Amino acid sequence: MLTVENLHAGYGRARILRGVSFALAPGEVLVLLGRNGAGKSTTMKALVGLLPATGRIRLAGTDIARWPPHRIARLGLGWVPEERRIFPDLTVAETLEVGRRPARDGRPPWTPDRLFTLFPNLGPLRDRPGGRISGGEQQMLAIARTLMGNPRLLLLDEPSEGLAPVIVDQMQAAILALKAEGVTILLAEQNLPFAARVADRAVILETGAIVWNGTMSALMNNPPARARHLQV
Amino acid sequence: MDLFLLQLLTGLAGASTLFLVAAGLTVIFGVTRVVNFAHGSLFMLGAYIAWSILSRLPRSPEYFVLGLLAAALATAAIGAVMELALLRRIYRAPEMLQLLATFGVVLVVQDAALWLWGPVDLAVSRPPWLRGAITVAGLRFPFYDAVLIAVGPLVLGLLLLLFHRTRWGLLVRAATADRDMVAALGVDQRWLFTSVFALGAGLAGLGGALSMPQGSANLHMDLAVIVDAFVVVVVGGMGSLSGAFLAALLIGVLQAFGIVLLPKITLVLVFLVMAAVLVLRPHGLLGKPQAESRAEAETLAPIRPAPAILRRLGLAALLLAIAAPFLAGPYLLTVLTEAAIAVLFAASLHVMMGPGGMASFGHAAWFGIGAYAAAFTAQGLGTSMAVGLLLAPLCAGAVALAVGGLVVRMSGVYLAMLTLAFAQIAWAIAFQWVELTGGDNGVLGVWPDPWAANPRTLYWLALALCLGATLLLRRLLYAPFGYALRATRDSPLRAAAIGLPLPRLRLAAFAIAGAAAGLAGAVFAYAKGSVFPTYMAIPHSVDALVTVLLGGVQTIAGPIVGAVAYTVLQSWLLTSEFWRIKLGLLILLLVLAFPAGIAGATHAAWLRWRGRSA
Ligand SMILES: Nc1ncnc2c1ncn2[C@@H]1O[C@H](COP(=O)(O)OP(=O)(O)OP(=O)(O)O)[C@@H](O)[C@H]1O
Ligand SMILES: [Mg+2]
Repeated sequence: MLTVENLHAGYGRARILRGVSFALAPGEVLVLLGRNGAGKSTTMKALVGLLPATGRIRLAGTDIARWPPHRIARLGLGWVPEERRIFPDLTVAETLEVGRRPARDGRPPWTPDRLFTLFPNLGPLRDRPGGRISGGEQQMLAIARTLMGNPRLLLLDEPSEGLAPVIVDQMQAAILALKAEGVTILLAEQNLPFAARVADRAVILETGAIVWNGTMSALMNNPPARARHLQV
Repeated sequence: MDLFLLQLLTGLAGASTLFLVAAGLTVIFGVTRVVNFAHGSLFMLGAYIAWSILSRLPRSPEYFVLGLLAAALATAAIGAVMELALLRRIYRAPEMLQLLATFGVVLVVQDAALWLWGPVDLAVSRPPWLRGAITVAGLRFPFYDAVLIAVGPLVLGLLLLLFHRTRWGLLVRAATADRDMVAALGVDQRWLFTSVFALGAGLAGLGGALSMPQGSANLHMDLAVIVDAFVVVVVGGMGSLSGAFLAALLIGVLQAFGIVLLPKITLVLVFLVMAAVLVLRPHGLLGKPQAESRAEAETLAPIRPAPAILRRLGLAALLLAIAAPFLAGPYLLTVLTEAAIAVLFAASLHVMMGPGGMASFGHAAWFGIGAYAAAFTAQGLGTSMAVGLLLAPLCAGAVALAVGGLVVRMSGVYLAMLTLAFAQIAWAIAFQWVELTGGDNGVLGVWPDPWAANPRTLYWLALALCLGATLLLRRLLYAPFGYALRATRDSPLRAAAIGLPLPRLRLAAFAIAGAAAGLAGAVFAYAKGSVFPTYMAIPHSVDALVTVLLGGVQTIAGPIVGAVAYTVLQSWLLTSEFWRIKLGLLILLLVLAFPAGIAGATHAAWLRWRGRSA
């Protein structure tokens, strides 16, 4: 689904990513782990075309390196940013409309009604401006907005960050439901237990480079590696 | 009472055209974050195109309406071309560069209009059906004004429908909040931006076309209307359509009454209302705090002291400058005197813009205040030049301190517009208070003391004062004050967190910049022997900006290099026909090709060269 080879990216003169490579198979959930500032969000922004990057990025067989963000999104890369970036003045229903794109090869398209089933909290808030709903609801709205574009691959940047435990559980259920539908997901997380419950494989970043790569269960059975790369 | 009602209606009619222009400006700003200085030029083009169309069409109501709409469409097309050719390339550039680029368009359009339509005001003879009057509460009121009154709310309604009932409007509102996010959702913003710009330009064109039958199409309407439109947009709240409507009503009515009751201070009154609104509501009547622009910002390289080779070059240039009177003829000496003054003028703006991060669009105000202060001490007090040279920076600095108290709290565009507004007040006072300033005729006979009257001595004096003050300003940038100032620019929040008194630092920079510009103005007054309101006019503020940007904002040598280059360029340009279009194209070239300025580009080339040879 996605192959990344030797990705370099940064902000202005600050070079952050130093040759990141990994791959994702269709239907797989891969988690990017790493401490604060390791470069997880930077990787995602480079993939969606919001940061100048060099290297090879292939999505569904097409090289998308240096494409503008809207073409990458149209090809099927959906991104849910860490800061959520909700449009404060648009209602929940309007926000979903902004994300709407045509259905993709045979799959049933996402509709507001289907998304309100996936995230039951959102239904009653239909006409509420995005700036006036809770953080957890904003996170759900951000994911729902991206799903309206019927992405082949979903990038979720720390969806559990700053949420109450109940909401984290709902988020986990939603991600597992998406996985069951066959959606391919690239997840960035700091919350290891959360990642362990949803991901198949893990990649660990440290100061912009990959330092560990393997299945999620291998990582969970390898306490020294976790201690070395993830503990603060 | 009758007069009151009539004047109110006249004000409402004026408010409609003002609203059309301001609505376009605010819509464009909301989405693209570009303050379009050329919006007044689009208004002017709308008026001229309407004249060209209407004077060829049959004079029936249907053709009249069609002609106006065609003029609006033509202006929209011009706007789209402008977006495609220019703005698209500079959306990520600093605000000041964008404002300057659109000012380049103002210059180009002025000369293009002069070339196409000639210098004479153009009016259409109004057909009889248009000249009629209707009766309101027993008063006869022009029919056309009544139509105009209706147009404002009608257009507001249509725009609100467009933004709230169509997918296009929905995407525009989303992009207003966060354009990168909208792009990441698969929306081609380039197309969105072009269409928004065309819509805004079309509204300006419609405003110009509608106002033409009442008066004329002329070459002064661009700057006149843009200043009013800025005021309306700022008072209403940047990006708010309903706010622009309310503010247009307020300003339109205020102007209508001002012209009858207090004709002299109308302009001042308008700006006082704006200042009052901004003190009470810093984001305007219906504006919201500006969202942090979501574009990933370029990080600025730190300023380093000049390397040895540059210092040696500087020293050589200085020696050459001191020896100049022995080498140069009288004309060149005048040019050099002006260059020295331009150096200080630009360096003072640079303190605000570079390290201070405050972009001023009205820097000429301080220059002018200094010049008038010198003129009044020379004429009124009859004292020696030394007193004038001392009083001028003090006066300018004191006024800057007072104005700065209001202004430095504002950020980005608001600050640029407020400084512009203040400069316009200062200009209006100089222009309209004829008893004191002689109005357009200026203050003449501001001669230096006899010992300095000789052009050589005067040149040396100007050189000593201007370069001395410029070097003082540079010292300031390497002192703790300069570092603290840059910290407040780069990260206001973090600077506040480590205890830097943000407003006071910026206020100090503002006042120092004002005082230094005042000194430049005083030296200029003595060098020219006269002072005119144009010293404070918009073009002079733009001169300072072009100078700083020509040199490069982020290099300390920038203002010096820029001032010399620009003065020489101007002395050559101003003597030629159609100099505006040349200057305008030069500005556009500068912005598009050398956004880092001469000194910045040289610095980058130097780094590349060293990198390769190392
Ligand atoms: N806008 C920016 N400008 C400059 N540097 C940035 C910017 N955003 C992030 N960085 C830097 O890039 C590096 C990687 O940041 P990134 O946001 O990718 O980390 P992350 O792994 O997502 O961390 P976190 O878990 O805290 O979200 C950090 O050193 C950070 O300081
Ligand atoms: Mg992150």
